[in-house]
Formats: sequence, C-alpha cells, structure tokens
Amino acid sequence: MTEPEVKPEVMRISWGPQHPMSGQTRILIDVDGEVVRRIIADIGFTHRGIEKILEKRTFIQGIVPIERMVMADTANIALGYVQAVEEALGIEVPERAKWIRSLICEMGRINSHLYAFGLQVECTGYFPAVFLWTTVDREVLLDLFEKLTGARWSYSFFIPGGVRADLPEGFRDEVKRAVKYLRRRFQDYWDAMVENPLFEMRNRGVGILSREDAIRLGATGPVLRGSGVDMDVRRDEPYAAYGDLDFKVITEKEGDCLARLKVRFHEIEQSLNIMEQIADEIPGGPVRTKVPLFPRSKPGVEALSRVETARGELGVHIFTDGGMKPYRVKINSPTLRNMYVFERLAELDKVLVADLPVILYSIDPWYLDCDR
Amino acid sequence: MPARSEEELVEELKREHPELLVEAVIHRSKRVSIVAKREKILELARLLRDKYGFTHPVSAGAVDYIKEGRMQMIYYLMNPESRFMLMLRVDLPRDNPRMPSMTQVWEAMSFHEREAWEMFGIDFEGHPNLTHLLLPPDWRGGYPLRKDFKGEGVTP
Repeated sequence: MTEPEVKPEVMRISWGPQHPMSGQTRILIDVDGEVVRRIIADIGFTHRGIEKILEKRTFIQGIVPIERMVMADTANIALGYVQAVEEALGIEVPERAKWIRSLICEMGRINSHLYAFGLQVECTGYFPAVFLWTTVDREVLLDLFEKLTGARWSYSFFIPGGVRADLPEGFRDEVKRAVKYLRRRFQDYWDAMVENPLFEMRNRGVGILSREDAIRLGATGPVLRGSGVDMDVRRDEPYAAYGDLDFKVITEKEGDCLARLKVRFHEIEQSLNIMEQIADEIPGGPVRTKVPLFPRSKPGVEALSRVETARGELGVHIFTDGGMKPYRVKINSPTLRNMYVFERLAELDKVLVADLPVILYSIDPWYLDCDR
Repeated sequence: MPARSEEELVEELKREHPELLVEAVIHRSKRVSIVAKREKILELARLLRDKYGFTHPVSAGAVDYIKEGRMQMIYYLMNPESRFMLMLRVDLPRDNPRMPSMTQVWEAMSFHEREAWEMFGIDFEGHPNLTHLLLPPDWRGGYPLRKDFKGEGVTP
C-alpha cells in the first residue's frame, strides 16, 4: 500500500509488520497525544494468491491449499470449500458424515476461540499466565484431532462425499471426557478473568461498535454478535448437522471489547453442548459416498457455500467450466471484513493508544485469512 | 415493513423497476442474483439499500470470462432481517472494465473494490482511495486473477 500523507498536527506510528502480537501485518496509527485520530490497516504481507492457486488444482487437490487460510480453524474453512464443491458437482453426503463434520467444526471453533481468548487477555497486560492456560487446554482437543484424523493441525479430513474415516473405537467417550474437563476449566477462566475487576476495567466501554455501524460496515462473527445483531449462518442456513442440533446464538448488546470476549466465551459453552449432543445422538451408517479422484464438472455451474467459522461468515463461491479444475474460486473471508471495521473504529469512538492492542485482538484477526 | 422473501423481491423488482435490470433469478433457496445494467447500477444499489433493506455488505469480487470478452463484478449483500444472500452482478467489457464505485452506497466495499482493481484491473469511478491492498505498492506484473495472466516479469 502507498502510505497516505500525514497531517502536520499528528504523529504517525507504524505498528508491525513484524508480528504485532500474532501474524504479519502493518497497522499505521495517526496519534494526537494519547488519542488515535486515524487507523490505517496495511494488509497483504501474507498474500499467497490462494484464489489463483485453486484455479490450478483439481477439486480434491484444492482442499490442502485452502486449509492454509486459518490454521487454528481448518475444519470450518475446509468445510466451506468442500460443500461448495459438493454443490457444484452434485455430490450427496451421508448423514453420519454430516454429524462427524459438525463435531470437528465445533472442536475447531473451541480451539480457535481459546487462542483468541488467550491473546486478548495477554493484550490487557495483566495475565501472562492465561495464554499458557489456553494453550495447554487446547492440547485436549489436539489429541482428539490426532486420534481421529492422524494430524493435530490441518488435517484435510473432509473430502467431497463425506469424511475420510469413521470415528475410532471409544472416541465418543473420549469426547465426553474432554467436554467435562473443558467445562471445569472454563469456570476457572470465567472466575479469574471475566469477573476480575482489573480485567473488566481494561475492556468495558473500550472500542464500542454500535449495532447500526456493525451492520453498515459489514462486521461478521463475534464482532457482529457482540454488537447485538442476531446473525449466525449455522442457524440461518443450516448446513452439516446443525439443522438437527440444539444450540443458542449468543449476542451481547454492549458492542465493546468485553462483549466480544463474552460472545466467544459463551460460544465455547454452546460448542461443548453440541459436542456432547453429537457424541450421544450420532446416527449410524456409511461416512462417505464414492467420488472419482478427478471428478469432472458440468460447464457454467456455480455454487456459493456459506459456513460460520470462528471469525465469522466464510463464503466460497465456485465457478466451473466443465473441466477437472474450478474456473474461479472467490473466497469471502471474515477477517477482511472485520479489519475494515477496525480501521473505522477510531472515527466512531474515542480510542487511546494504550487500548489499541485490546481492540485489535478483540476482533480476533487472522492475517492469513485476511490476505488469502 | 417486514423484509421481503426471495420471491417477493424478484417479483417486485421485475414489476416496478424493469428498466434497471437485465435479469433477476433465484438459484436456490437463499441465493438470489440480480444482473444490473452498467449505467443504472448506482441507482439500483441505492434502491436496494434504502427501500429493500440490504444494508449489510458482505463482500465483492469479479470473474474473468475471457472467451466471452467480459468480466462480471459481483457484490454480495444481505438484509439483516431476511438473511438470504443477494448477488448484485454487473457485466463489464473486458477491454475497458469501468464502473461506478459502490463505496458511495456501501462504504465497506472499499477493501473489496481495491482488491478487484489490483487483481482484475477494474476501474472504479469515485472510489476514495484506489491503491494496492494485497500486492506491493510497486507491483508491475499485471493483473494476477485475469485468465491471461502468465506470471512473467512479476518482480519489479
């Protein structure tokens, strides 16, 4: 990005591009004393051209590059792509595979929210230990991933037509044990942080985004729901097994950093409930339908699939031309939308330099997702 | 006023504003496409936002149909009440892809239009800050997402 001119009354600070907490991006901040007058998000440092790469891969090969968008939340990202491929090619998915997909997606969501939660607490500067707690606790989930898929990260487990393997023996009991353990840990988190007056002071009333602005600026995910907008793709347009599962869409009306954190916190609780429901009620049957290794598309078909990832709504829009590769894949990434909201926040609310890290990490940015 | 369903929206647009549209179709439940006339797109966009409640911009992107000599710009929009995905499309000639910027209607389309500008070379008239978003500022390698992009001479 070409840097815009600096007005004489402000000073410009460049934050990044080397790891402003997590990932590579540059945030330019125009400050007038302690007050931030303007935020400019200079993204693109991790642009890999995933949309172009996908045009050069067959439908099934595309699963691997697209997972690299968000490593903490690969299941949801891969599901967006795989569902779009299934719709474009007209592939049916067995019921049991849909339930397994939902299970892994919820585990991925908890994994990702834990990371976001830990980072936001780290940003307040009070609790260096909490980031380590969340990192240790996600091991429980990573072990489950390993058992089921063979990999702890980026498991490429979803394929057009279902999932790669059935649940191993005793897996449902292990899921229930993990849920029980995590529930107990989250009670500790709540008592130690959210109820803590010091933590609350740094987060309440900081970076307020009103309901109207959240809609107008195209916010998504916990940022949108933290401003009191009741939108969640899982409920609005049920995919995988979400139509049969019982869960609540969490909203908070304050629109500040604490509200966004609380949304994530309560969403983790909902995800744990979903995991338990799936472990109890998963139907039997096959887990995949047979799909050729290089499926051929019909010309002129397009399919837009929407999924709710941990950061918000992901859209994958596939266009075909009759070949074995997609003609074009458009990815509507959630972080790109939230980064625009972050850019505008300094104009909507009084933002101090000291609060900027908390605000940035309350939108849970994932720059690889932003740049694609 | 309750939000219109997919069918009601398409019916009403076809009945009351046929001069703004090329076509309006429902692909499946919750997926609606409206192809706008290029010279009327700003008028149609304002109508969608103010009268039909599509206040929530989702994304925007383009597709390069090289054999047909056209590009299609797609805006993804949503009404927070009815929550189906509206795709507002406009066809642009490939040799001169220009159109008015939708940032005049939905401010948040800014990032998405900057991306389409650098990736496809679509010129958005009236965009407040049409600079590189993802590519480096001194990029001279052409338009990466166009179908005739060869990837040669990409380093400045």
